[in-house]
Amino acid sequence: MGSAYLINLAFNGVILGLIVALAALSITLVFGIARFPNAATGDVATVGAFAGLAVTATGGGTAAILGFGVLTAAGLSLLFYLILFRGLADKPPVASLIASIGLAFFVRAVLTFFVGHNQQVYPLPIVRAVPFGPLRVQPTDLQVIAVAVLALAAVFALLHLTAIGRRMRAVADNPDLARASGIAATRVLVVMWLCAGALAGVSGTLLGIKTVVSPEMGWDLLMPAFAATILGTIGNPVGAVLGGLLIGLAQELSTPIVGFTYKIGVGFLVLLLMLLVRPQGLFAGNALVR
Amino acid sequence: MSTLTVANLYAGYGDVDIVTDLSLRVEPLEIVTIAGTNGSGKSTLVKGLMGLLKRIRGRVDFEGTSLLGVPGERRIHMGIAYVPQVNNVFASLTVLENLQVVEGVSDRRRRMAEMLDRFPALQERRSTKAGALSGGERQQLAFARALMASPRLMILDEPTAALSPALVHEVLRLITALRGMGVAVLLVEQRARQALAISDRGYILDSGRVVIEDRADRLLADERMADLYLGEH
Repeated sequence: MGSAYLINLAFNGVILGLIVALAALSITLVFGIARFPNAATGDVATVGAFAGLAVTATGGGTAAILGFGVLTAAGLSLLFYLILFRGLADKPPVASLIASIGLAFFVRAVLTFFVGHNQQVYPLPIVRAVPFGPLRVQPTDLQVIAVAVLALAAVFALLHLTAIGRRMRAVADNPDLARASGIAATRVLVVMWLCAGALAGVSGTLLGIKTVVSPEMGWDLLMPAFAATILGTIGNPVGAVLGGLLIGLAQELSTPIVGFTYKIGVGFLVLLLMLLVRPQGLFAGNALVR
Repeated sequence: MSTLTVANLYAGYGDVDIVTDLSLRVEPLEIVTIAGTNGSGKSTLVKGLMGLLKRIRGRVDFEGTSLLGVPGERRIHMGIAYVPQVNNVFASLTVLENLQVVEGVSDRRRRMAEMLDRFPALQERRSTKAGALSGGERQQLAFARALMASPRLMILDEPTAALSPALVHEVLRLITALRGMGVAVLLVEQRARQALAISDRGYILDSGRVVIEDRADRLLADERMADLYLGEH
């Protein structure tokens, strides 16, 4: 096993980690502000990926896939809030969690009914990989990295440089004090659900570009994303991103040892060790959104 | 017109009223203390006044306008500020961000400058997260945040609880200064001797009802009543 092989695995780990980080950031935003782990995050990502696939039928390229996928996922996320999670806001968080699990199964069943179980791919042109020393880089990989980094940067800019972002962090920090300070929770929640959906949409479409599109892809994404969220301290956006990268790297770098099929288990091994040693996650003392 | 009028108020949780048939008032620029032992209904009263309870009936008027049915987040726009007992700042936000998030502020830039002038300790710590402030700085930020929207009534829930004696003195000095800023104060305290010492009037709560209402100096002078309801000297 040469160093070139490991470098290529690490590069793939970073790409996978960024995709997981997007979904993890979506989960952590919802947890920080709406106070429950949203198990429908993966399936919203799947819908985004399929929306991207639909737009390719009209000749759309990568930008159209991303644009339509993100808009659809953001819209769906807001719709779920309006028709389901808003009504459960006064109930214990476990009610919203169970509802999100049911919603996830429902979305997957509807998708499977209409598109079947077959894996599909975006009809994007095949481009030869470019060598950078020992690293072989697909131009698509660079696009995936650029889009993921831009999406993450946009969310952090929203949280820290805008008035609505400050309000979101205030509601996450202390909902009663936020209300006493005049912050209308509804407006904050609408923006948060749009953001969470958009992040899931970017994650789903990028995963579709990198691999395949199938109704189960969101479920496969959800587990590493949950692991990343907990690893990076649930509710901490920076932690979610770093947790995603760690899970992605751990999965890819373990491939030579455990094989392709079982690499997903490594993420959970890291998670289990983390829960045993430091259950509050890696970044408990540095939460941005509690 | 009274700043705050509460009449025949019933408030509680689920199917149970904790506060029953409670009436009180706060006049403009008055400092009024609500005292009572644990479980007397003080916290329920505050939550009811701040619109945080579903189970509430009776009359609550602020400057003649009913507050019942008004969402909690509208109170700051009407002129009511609130400083909770604990978690009275946004710990993960910086000092400046704590002031920036307050709604209902007409000239935010000018008002923030005023607050930083009034509380100079915050000026030096403007980029520090509130969770990293000292106890005294934190209390100053809690007052600055509450004052941002130029309120005419401030509701303070046990502001001296768990503070060192030096900080208690500092907080009482801040409360006394509120009158000069055009703010009436409803001060809820469990150990209320020091609170009554800076107040105009006081109400003693027991089992969710007002059992005694009088001028603060008279309440303090009645030693038997003070021993029963006002805690240690």
